[in-house]
Amino acid sequence: MSAPNAQVLPAVMKLLHLRLRIMVNSFRHAKRGSKIGLIILYTMLLGFGVFVFGLSKVLLDFVRSPDMARITGMDFAAVLVSIPALILSALFLGTLLTSFGVLLQALYLSGDMDFLIATPVPIRAVFIAKLLQAVIPNFAILALLGLPILFGLGASSGYGAVYYPLVILVMIALALAAAGLASLLVMLVVRVMSPRRAAEILAFFGALFGFACSQLGNFANLFGRDIHVSGTRLAGILLLAEVRWLPLNWAGQGLVALGQNHWGTGVLLLGGTLGVAVGVFVFALITAEQLYYSGWAGMQIVARKKTSRSSRATQPRTNVLGLGIARLFSKPVLGIVQKDYLTLRRDLRNISQLITPIILGIMYTLSLLRRSSETPFDGGAANVFSESFRVALSYTSVGMSLFVGWMVLSRLAQMGFSHEGRNYWLVKVSPVRTGQLLLAKFVVAYLPAVGLGLLFLLVISSVQGFSIVQFLYSLVIMLLCQAGTAGILLAFGAIGANFTWDDPRKMNAGGMGCLGQIATMLYLPVAFGAFIIPLGLVSVFGFPIAFGYLAGLLFGVGVTLVCAYVPLWLVRKRVERLGEA
Amino acid sequence: MYETLIETRNLIKRYGDKVAVNNVSFEVKGGEVFGFLGPNGAGKTTTIKMIVGLLQPTTGIVKVAGYDVQTQALSAKAASGYVPDTPNLYAKLTGRELLRFVGDLYNLDRGQAARRADELLHMFDLSAAADDTFDSYSHGMQQKTALAAALMHDPKVLILDEPTVGLDPKSARLIKDILRRMADRGSAVMLSTHILEIAERMCDRIGIIYKGELIAVGTMDELRQLGQTAQSSLEDIFLNLTGGAEEAEMAEILK
Repeated sequence: MSAPNAQVLPAVMKLLHLRLRIMVNSFRHAKRGSKIGLIILYTMLLGFGVFVFGLSKVLLDFVRSPDMARITGMDFAAVLVSIPALILSALFLGTLLTSFGVLLQALYLSGDMDFLIATPVPIRAVFIAKLLQAVIPNFAILALLGLPILFGLGASSGYGAVYYPLVILVMIALALAAAGLASLLVMLVVRVMSPRRAAEILAFFGALFGFACSQLGNFANLFGRDIHVSGTRLAGILLLAEVRWLPLNWAGQGLVALGQNHWGTGVLLLGGTLGVAVGVFVFALITAEQLYYSGWAGMQIVARKKTSRSSRATQPRTNVLGLGIARLFSKPVLGIVQKDYLTLRRDLRNISQLITPIILGIMYTLSLLRRSSETPFDGGAANVFSESFRVALSYTSVGMSLFVGWMVLSRLAQMGFSHEGRNYWLVKVSPVRTGQLLLAKFVVAYLPAVGLGLLFLLVISSVQGFSIVQFLYSLVIMLLCQAGTAGILLAFGAIGANFTWDDPRKMNAGGMGCLGQIATMLYLPVAFGAFIIPLGLVSVFGFPIAFGYLAGLLFGVGVTLVCAYVPLWLVRKRVERLGEA
Repeated sequence: MYETLIETRNLIKRYGDKVAVNNVSFEVKGGEVFGFLGPNGAGKTTTIKMIVGLLQPTTGIVKVAGYDVQTQALSAKAASGYVPDTPNLYAKLTGRELLRFVGDLYNLDRGQAARRADELLHMFDLSAAADDTFDSYSHGMQQKTALAAALMHDPKVLILDEPTVGLDPKSARLIKDILRRMADRGSAVMLSTHILEIAERMCDRIGIIYKGELIAVGTMDELRQLGQTAQSSLEDIFLNLTGGAEEAEMAEILK
């Protein structure tokens, strides 16, 4: 079965060399701009590391100083020694989480495992190489932050020279242990669901997490709470690192002890850490290798198929709503709409792209509703303008539904054709008219945008006390403005359609996508103004408000329907040629 | 006699200075299985893509079931079915959903499409996996699903690019039987393949394309006359015409 252990290390080196060769080739064959960008990026990262080191030394020196103790009334010396434990714990957990996704990809989705295992290379070497391939990039990123801080701590605390190489050794050992555990976790997850599905779920939650982090400030403002951290609370958190029985704390405490020349305690704790870390790594590696090679993880495929066979009932293809819609559209249009909704819904990576506009919309709507809607104008001859301004201003909250719709349409309309991917040939060889295809893609994008817009409109209008007329007029504005947006974005998306993606998050319409965004940013204020400005003007000139509504409908409908139809009509020839290599 | 269902006349496809298909002309009548052979990069797939409407020819005419693929595209596409060499199909649709979607694309009645889908799934032994998503299928299952999709609307013309790659013997035999039955019913079948034994056994006529040019078309007997010996196998004829004989000799020496 596996070759003697003596062959494992040379085989690992060969595989890592292969990986390095691939990276070098990728760099050599990259465009000049990309090469320069990469060099600048790595230089900046190195500089960043040096900066963090300097900054942490300065800050830690200040925190440790008698002045700080006098100002705060606290002795931070005890707290500072907890920093290594906290940073190493964060490194371990960060490596564990990030390595999971990379290992899932490397072991099950990269497509080269079968090839590597079929060659006369020890399987253990393949696993080790894959583990290292997963851990090295993530470790480098985490170390970029953690290592300078730890070095800075050592420098400011005057730790002995032995402290610095041991920091690096411990970080590597903990990272390897985390990667080993991540590989076991991958085996367990793949046993329960398919690797592709696991990758989709991971991508979904990763996107949500990233989005949540980016909006932390907005969330805090929204709920009106200030983030308030007291020194006592912070010190309490930091002192958790003092707890001796937590294995992750041994490393930090051991490093501090050795730095302070407490050799007995330091060697015991650090030795224990390294022993446990190496033991965990070896155990996890051997176990994961066995689970992979024995096909244990692959048994979920058999189990899953048995479940599928038992749930044979297929949903009826038509229901009441479906029958109604089926009368409006031809079979090809309906088929494409149904297919797109199924494929969009079932790939979580699509959902993660669509959910962010919804969350943003909710946040901004709540923010908007909390503000008052008083006009800035007051008194005398300006009353006429005040009234016209107020009437027009009352509809600006419709803008929120347009904003949410615009974000949704940027994905659904602009990527409408790109969404087909490498499967587009099936539509292209079938007898579907260009008009039918455009209509189908329009409907796929338009309906969800309008549905969401309607939801936001209902909430806003009920909170702000819209009259029936205001609500209906707002509804017309939303429906027609979205139609124009959909037409423009779908047209640009068709011109820039990209069918060669493998991950839906990587589909894009290139430069045409940017132009489409710009075009809609210009279109929306014009379209919205066409509906709203007449309302303001009739008040100025003393006409009844009904005239304003009529004029607004006349101009607004004209602008929006032209923008909904004309771009699609202009690109119809281009759509006929889509997908031709 | 059966009518001509696939016709190409002076078909040319250029990519810049490179001529991928150079003046290819042939016909395939109803009732026959036409094999399209050629080495890698000869222009088989490019020719096939022009026939099914995936590529626009630089010049030349392509007709399917009497309809010009360029000017009467919808009618030509409605009459033909296509199975590519790599069956890229919607990963998140089940086999059943995929076939029903194809039924919609070809404007089939919903009930008829559902019945046809069930028949095809049963015929290709895919019923057990009919409600599993396409991304869970093996390559062979994907290939069979693609063929089932091409047969949903019972086309008069069926065009297949490397149809037996990745199929088990039972499935490969099933496909051969299906193609033969289609031809016997009057449809035209055109398939490209690298496996000369399949072409020799299945095809009524064979066209050999090499470096973008159709260098030989005919029945096995007609091709043997070209090879100037009654005993030549298709492999010998193919290698002689495409210049692969020297490589075959070297391979023999190296054995």
